[in-house]
Amino acid sequence: MAYALVALGFVLALNAAGAVNFAHGDLVVLGGAVAVLLVGWLGLPGILLLPLVALALAAAGIVAAHVAILPLARRPPEATFVATIALAAMIEQGLTLTMGAAPHTTPPFLGSGAVTITIAGAGATLGLQPLAIVLVGGVLVAGLWLLLERTQVGRRMRAVAADRHMARAVGIPVARYVTLSLALSGALAGIAGFLLGHQFLVTPTQGAGHMLKAYIAVALGGWGSVPGALIGALAIGVFETFVSASIGDAWASAALYIAVLLVLTVRPRGLFGEPVGQRA
Amino acid sequence: MTVLDTGTFAVAAGEIVALLGANGAGKTSLMETILGFRPSRSIRLFGRDVSALPVERRIALGVGYVPERRRLFAGLTVEENLEAASRLPAVHRRRRVEEMLAAFPMLAERPHARAWLLSGGQQQMLALARAMIDRPRLLLLDEPTLGLAPLVVADLLARLRAVAAEGTAILLSEQRASLALGIASRGVVLSRGKVVRAALAAQLANDPQLADLMAGG
Repeated sequence: MAYALVALGFVLALNAAGAVNFAHGDLVVLGGAVAVLLVGWLGLPGILLLPLVALALAAAGIVAAHVAILPLARRPPEATFVATIALAAMIEQGLTLTMGAAPHTTPPFLGSGAVTITIAGAGATLGLQPLAIVLVGGVLVAGLWLLLERTQVGRRMRAVAADRHMARAVGIPVARYVTLSLALSGALAGIAGFLLGHQFLVTPTQGAGHMLKAYIAVALGGWGSVPGALIGALAIGVFETFVSASIGDAWASAALYIAVLLVLTVRPRGLFGEPVGQRA
Repeated sequence: MTVLDTGTFAVAAGEIVALLGANGAGKTSLMETILGFRPSRSIRLFGRDVSALPVERRIALGVGYVPERRRLFAGLTVEENLEAASRLPAVHRRRRVEEMLAAFPMLAERPHARAWLLSGGQQQMLALARAMIDRPRLLLLDEPTLGLAPLVVADLLARLRAVAAEGTAILLSEQRASLALGIASRGVVLSRGKVVRAALAAQLANDPQLADLMAGG
């Protein structure tokens, strides 16, 4: 579910900017780093840290929009690629300078224990942090769906994603919606970084790995498709878990890349990709 | 009342002006200049100079735009396309969407269909309804009949007449001069980005040089 948050943030930024935000993976790491710094300064529990991390990374998303995306809106997408790659490098180097290269741990969202859930006599023990990731992820995915599908703001975000030129031509203030999308994208990345940082630690160089997973999820689900990104990310999570349990961690990534190549060979547009020019 | 004046020609409230010219004559460029996508020295809309206003502000003054090839928001439904283009508060917006669906029975049959699943005629009607959602005072249409069946073209042109009769100024860009001049009161011929002829529609329709003018001769 944490992959889903990363991938959803990635696809929101992709649709709003019309180009890949290569700094997205580093925004995930920045979310974890902000949580580590805040807990060091304020000593707050995880449940109170989450909104602060979300706000901080929403602000980072707004900065990314105004520094690397909006000023280049009339340039070819390659300009945004280069600008966001530069932004990614700045975040990574900035974190290395301030935190050092050693890994850090974010605090747990609910606690570090485990709960046993019994249904019809059968019990299962779940760690609180994985449970928190599923719960927080589920709430955020539902909230994002409601925003995009049931509100005027969401309709206009989708209109901007579908055709920015035409969105302006019907009077939509496109720059404002691109900024909002990048803020949401940043907040989702930050929350994902905070939640993942407890289990998988936070190191400044993790950004490329997060970025790659999000890229694969979106390519698998259908380039630019929001539901596709969600399904793609969940599929990656389930696949990796299954392969790790069956043949070991070392083969999980290799098997994932082979599986993705096979899927894209059969369906080049991804699982939920729409015909070119008809995506929104 | 003059609602559009580029310094070369004007469109009055309730009037249809046909903008004629061959492919590449500059019709779309002129529309984009009026909208604000291209810089201009002087564009007056509704009595004020809008040269410095961005696109969104010009639209908010009361401009509706139907672009060439419709450019609907493909993944949004019929209702969503209409709502997304409206700046009205929620209650008024919903009421206005209902009014537009009632006015366009072809759309009322499929309000929840994604735009890319509609037929060409339905898509063109949706593009027109989207441009009209906030009751524009000036409607710009760029090649709206392109690729449509004759019956749908007739329906579209009848609707444009009705919209103009309610006081909306219409600038209708067409390659097929006879269609546009059939409903317009005046016509303007563009060639290589310049106005080469402006006259009453009836005069232009009977002008033996019209085809040459449109071809840039």
